[in-house]
Amino acid sequence: MSQSQFVDPRVSRAKFDREIAEYHDLGSDYRRRGWLLVRAEFPWILVVLAAPQLKPPAIVTGVAFDYTNYDMRPPSVRLVDPFTGNPYKAKELPTHLKRSVESAGPPIPGLQLPLGAEARFVAQQPLMQWYGPDDTPFLCIAGVREYHDHPGHSGDAWELHRRSGAGRFVRLLETITKYGVQPIADYQISLQPRISGFIQRDVPS
Amino acid sequence: MPDNELDLAIVVNGQPTVVRANKNAPLRTVIPRALEQTGNAGQPPENWELRDAAGAPLSIEQKIGDFAFPADVRLFLNLKAGVGGVS
Repeated sequence: MSQSQFVDPRVSRAKFDREIAEYHDLGSDYRRRGWLLVRAEFPWILVVLAAPQLKPPAIVTGVAFDYTNYDMRPPSVRLVDPFTGNPYKAKELPTHLKRSVESAGPPIPGLQLPLGAEARFVAQQPLMQWYGPDDTPFLCIAGVREYHDHPGHSGDAWELHRRSGAGRFVRLLETITKYGVQPIADYQISLQPRISGFIQRDVPS
Repeated sequence: MPDNELDLAIVVNGQPTVVRANKNAPLRTVIPRALEQTGNAGQPPENWELRDAAGAPLSIEQKIGDFAFPADVRLFLNLKAGVGGVS
């Protein structure tokens, strides 16, 4: 158990056990979607997310959860190396969980639009956030401990989201899958041609 | 059960429940009931999204009967990701 557990561990463990039991009830559905539960031992969970839509299928990332003090505190969520369990640094992330966000954008001088129309911009916003390439990124959505602990989100307290199930295990996996795994359409392959000599038509006698 | 009704198994944030639905109503009508039955009270229905077992989003304005769901269908209702990003 985590050293910093201050909630009655029976409470957190009961809620943790409920998350895992409900997951197992639908485990075959989740496995078809590429979710492979490899460790569930209070307060930790490790899930490996695969992309079954690829041929051959690919392992995309591991996701580590820490449900210490749940649900007085939200769970910690990290993208991790699926083989070592080590959190990815920003420069190592296999996915940034990009989402499209529409905004009004800045006014464009000279742009003529019909009356009442408004130019809309679509930006790609990563749900994984960091400051430097060696930082451990965090999942920037409500329901995640690192989000609520960030000083930029002091106005969006966990207590506002707790009753909506924002910190529930399946909900967080759904979000990571939606933005990080489902959009993967194919492998991206780079080839670097290199001249290694000449091809001869024939070898004269 | 009347012919125009069916039971839909809906998994709300991982928690299953069964909602009785009218086939002639749009799919969105099952969302508040599923939330109520599972005690998810913190967010309004528009902040949730409904997907099929493969994770594909479902059009919630479509009539339930038009989906021709099989008897053992399971739908997945999950809280949308809010506006993220650290400025």
